[in-house]
Amino acid sequence: MSAAGRAACLVGVGETRYTKWGGITDASEYQLAVQAVLAAIADAGMTPDDVDGLASFAEDRNDATFMAADLGLPELRYASLSWLPGGGGACAAVANAAMAVESGAAETVVVYRSLCQGQFRRFGQGPGNVPARVGPRRVPHVRRATSLLEAHVGFTMPFGMFSPPIAYAMVLRRHMHRFGTTEEHMGHVAVATRAHAARNPRAVMGGRPMTMEDYRASRLVSEPFRLFDCCLENDGACAVVVTTAERGADTAKGPVAVLGSAQGAPHGFGHGQYSNVGMPDDDYASAGARGVAARLWARAGIAPADVDVAQIYDHFTGLVLLSLEDFGFCERGEGGPLAASGALAWPHGAMPTNTHGGSLSEAYIHGLNHVVEGVRQLRGESTCQVDGAETCLVTSAAGVPTSALVLGRR
Amino acid sequence: MTLRWFPDEMPMPAASAETMGWWEAAADHRLVVQTCTECGTTRHPPGPLCPHCRSSAWQWRQVPGTGKVYTYTVVHQAFIASLSDRLPYVVAAVELDDAGGARLVSNLVDVEPAAVTVDMAVEVVWEDMGPELAVPRFRPIPGAAPGPRR
Repeated sequence: MSAAGRAACLVGVGETRYTKWGGITDASEYQLAVQAVLAAIADAGMTPDDVDGLASFAEDRNDATFMAADLGLPELRYASLSWLPGGGGACAAVANAAMAVESGAAETVVVYRSLCQGQFRRFGQGPGNVPARVGPRRVPHVRRATSLLEAHVGFTMPFGMFSPPIAYAMVLRRHMHRFGTTEEHMGHVAVATRAHAARNPRAVMGGRPMTMEDYRASRLVSEPFRLFDCCLENDGACAVVVTTAERGADTAKGPVAVLGSAQGAPHGFGHGQYSNVGMPDDDYASAGARGVAARLWARAGIAPADVDVAQIYDHFTGLVLLSLEDFGFCERGEGGPLAASGALAWPHGAMPTNTHGGSLSEAYIHGLNHVVEGVRQLRGESTCQVDGAETCLVTSAAGVPTSALVLGRR
Repeated sequence: MTLRWFPDEMPMPAASAETMGWWEAAADHRLVVQTCTECGTTRHPPGPLCPHCRSSAWQWRQVPGTGKVYTYTVVHQAFIASLSDRLPYVVAAVELDDAGGARLVSNLVDVEPAAVTVDMAVEVVWEDMGPELAVPRFRPIPGAAPGPRR
């Protein structure tokens, strides 16, 4: 097969039902992962007999090895897990699958994520959260860490920085101090995203319209973040099928091309601001994605102005503003005013963003659902369809090592 | 302090081979920063190599324990149930004086959360959790004008 014939494309997407935290009790997280993978394969017009690779990203509990056996794959030829943590690896997992099919290591790879926060820990109850008085010793003491991350959060957990909203609220406070970003700027992200969810029958918050007054009235979590600045905690799974252009040409709904991808983190970034507050100020008050963005645009051969629609990782409203800056849609410090201009809102905004409702209002599947929505936009299937969309930016996380894709119709 | 600032259910630190010495110094009320003995670069959290010159030679350097608030948040949600009667509390990143720009995550005590500002001058106050563990928290320096100190 020629190099062009092996170019990676996305040919299937699928998901389970999405519910609030604890809403799914009749299927395990792993069973949901299997359901989502089967749905994506069916969407491509394929069967598991066509699949020879599986990919996911850090913190996945649902091993590809067991998945391959349970799906009855004829042979597993590729299995990978991106190191990028906390949602930063969703686009990277797709990119790794794309590299596998382009190299010839595999023909068809399914990327998946399942996240049942009702069946496992909720965030804020993470590593290092061991009460002082458990274990054989009766006096408070320093334990031996069982992982590098646990040792790092040993410098945050005892001070009550348990959870991502606390860590990233501090990032936004710094950004506000430097650039004058406001809570109302963040509110524009929350309100626009909720309006998109209202049109999406899959969205957890589909029946819950929100005004700026509702946003302002929501309770404080960790200043400046309110409840509606924070993404959902929910149950659900989704998956994406990656194959070669040659194979993709005769799939059920046609191929969506991967025009470019990039992943990584700046010098000294570590796990990001969640465990590192000592990085340079320009990186601290940012999404940490400027290097990823520069490489992404170079590889895709397009500029930010060429993007028709975007799915930008929204674990917190404020981090969307910082991603808009890092990916070059505005200058540093101008993310808030850009959101306030209405640019993100479908249908009239300059670049409708998170047209499925994002992690704030559709579902929090560590951002793999943003890739699913990118595919739907380029097929013309979105519930907030951008007319004639030909290019879609998808980003994964912010404030941890990140990744991104440019998807397109060739 | 006789009254614990946080409830006993708070998580205690876990340490790696590189970070244990920091906690041992803290138990003696010494605030230290890992410092490369080859090039003098400081780093926190501690790690095995200097990211600047890649030397594995390092020492703990004691710092004065003063600094300024780099950023902060006021926490209003009890992520551990027993924290509910300690809300709200302040988590801050403190940029330490004479520490090569190193910053620590800690708490601000003896201050109204609404009075906290970026660049506020602060000093360490030690809370003994037991004979083997002390935790540094920070309070405003009495009489110090808010604003950059250097």
